[in-house]
Amino acid sequence: MEFYTNALTHVLSFGPLTAMIGATLLGVLIGALPGLNPVMAIALLLPLTYSMDPLVALAMVAGIYNGSMYGGAIPAILLRIPGTPASIATTFDGFPMADKGEAAKALKIACWSSAIGGIASAIALMTMGPLLARVTLFFGPAEYFWIAIFGMASVGVMVGSDPVKGIMAAVLGLLIGTMGIDNLSGQARFTFGQTWLLGGLDLIVVLVGLYALPPVLQLAEKADLKGLSAAQLRLTNVPFKPGEIRGLIPTWLRASGIGIGVGILPGAGGNIAAFLSYNAAKNASDDPSSFGKGNPQGVAAAECGNNADNAASMIPALSLGIPGNVVAALVLSALTIHGLQPGPQLFHQNPVLVGGFMMEMLLTSVLIFALGGAVATRVFAQFQRLPGVLLVPSILILMCVGVYVINGRPVDLWVMLVAGLAGYILEKVNVPLAPIILGMILGPMAEQSVRRALLISRGDATELLTRPISAALAIATLLVIVWPIFRAMRRRRNTTKA
Amino acid sequence: MEKRQDIALGLLFAAFGIAAAWMATGYTGASGNYPMVLGLLLALLGGAVTVRAVRATRNEVRALVDAPAQMIIAAVIATIYVALVVPLGFYTASFLLMLALPAALGFRQPVYALIVALVFMALIYLVFSVLLEKPLPREALLSLFGSGA
Repeated sequence: MEFYTNALTHVLSFGPLTAMIGATLLGVLIGALPGLNPVMAIALLLPLTYSMDPLVALAMVAGIYNGSMYGGAIPAILLRIPGTPASIATTFDGFPMADKGEAAKALKIACWSSAIGGIASAIALMTMGPLLARVTLFFGPAEYFWIAIFGMASVGVMVGSDPVKGIMAAVLGLLIGTMGIDNLSGQARFTFGQTWLLGGLDLIVVLVGLYALPPVLQLAEKADLKGLSAAQLRLTNVPFKPGEIRGLIPTWLRASGIGIGVGILPGAGGNIAAFLSYNAAKNASDDPSSFGKGNPQGVAAAECGNNADNAASMIPALSLGIPGNVVAALVLSALTIHGLQPGPQLFHQNPVLVGGFMMEMLLTSVLIFALGGAVATRVFAQFQRLPGVLLVPSILILMCVGVYVINGRPVDLWVMLVAGLAGYILEKVNVPLAPIILGMILGPMAEQSVRRALLISRGDATELLTRPISAALAIATLLVIVWPIFRAMRRRRNTTKA
Repeated sequence: MEKRQDIALGLLFAAFGIAAAWMATGYTGASGNYPMVLGLLLALLGGAVTVRAVRATRNEVRALVDAPAQMIIAAVIATIYVALVVPLGFYTASFLLMLALPAALGFRQPVYALIVALVFMALIYLVFSVLLEKPLPREALLSLFGSGA
């Protein structure tokens, strides 16, 4: 408990508190603008936090993450356009509610459900994170190698529709991660005689390109010249019926549990949590046929589920140093930017920082109640009147300024551009981008762990498989890779027979 | 599955993997083993994607770019912007981008675009140059005035 009370005093100081309020508002705005997403926003923000206090930087990440997950519900309800991929399920009942003149009520339910899901998830992080970190004290280099490979394999096969392409993307990320001077031998690898490549490719530069440029190009392709009319954004207040809010409590509890479970799994994201929560609410309902026609339970389940995924996805990231999704990877990047090594030792060496970040995830969820209400929602919805073509250059400028300030090198702008164009094409041919980033982050850890394990065992490779925990992790990794491929092959064979 | 796209993708990754593995043979000791294994694995996976696409009986035609004209315009202007940021200066190049890109994409309300550009650039200046004091590429126009004075 002292762990959190100490952290709370730091979190409630001026810097982190202001950052949380500002970033939550910014997050709601980003979520509300279709085409912008939390990953892009956090990637753009990270370079600017180099000179900030780590707790302030992490407060901004927490605010944007939680705020944008709720913000995505605004266009999903008003226009049937999901602001983020995680709010697709919100459109199913949110838009029919708006169609019936209940938009304000749907937005209020989305706001409360997002806050409740976020709070439940933060509590799970605060209770399970330190426990898992204690278990990892028994891990050696062999276990860390397998944890890194397991994390990457899970993300590789779970994101996207094609496991082979997912694993291929992860291997590409691992290979990019080897660029630069090898820390153990001093050998320069894949530097092509360029001195600026000796430190390898900067993760944030590649990340901004991969995650921010493809949505910008897609916005340009849509060439939205008008934005929305005032009439499309008009809201009328409809009061709640007696007992209506109490009736949402079981849905909130169920969706929170599902979201937390999905969040802990590497690779599964807020969209999966929202769909599973929505289906569970529909199955548990006395009137499943009312779903899809404006049932408030549908909005509550989807929004609570996608926010409950947020903090839970940080559990493996903070305790094991293994990010389960790209936002968690960005949090790890934020820590490394400030010279902090993610993993179990972080809990002992920087308890204020880890505890503080967990408190920030909790407090920014609470802030959604206060800041995401009807007034803010009305204000943010107005930004959708801005034509999409004006957003395209604005985001490009933010990308450039964010990348340039990292090292002050013009060459980074070109790396960002090439990474972005490659990301655009790769997404089009169904190659997921998340495994590339996770490969870049986990690659050095995997390589150093395997080489250390071999040094300790004097070159005996069986060391990687004979320790009980590493053997279990190796089997789990094999199953994670082989099972989806086997299932896909069986499905294809059945389709061919039919 | 789009057969042609997947064949090209697989071949590209396979070539990339083989090149990486070949380069890794030149690295000393253990520092070459890891990238060599990764390169070979990438080549193997690329080969698998190609073989699977060649053997596939179905071909779902899928456009690589939905609106080629708009995408090319945006990509070319973004490239020109990146090329001009350092020689022209960050604020000059960015201001020009705010006006040129919407116009190139068909936005015909120059006053609206100008107001948005002025407000946005003022915000960027306040946040990055005044509040965060981040060093950005120097303005060529200011340098000209500076040397003339």
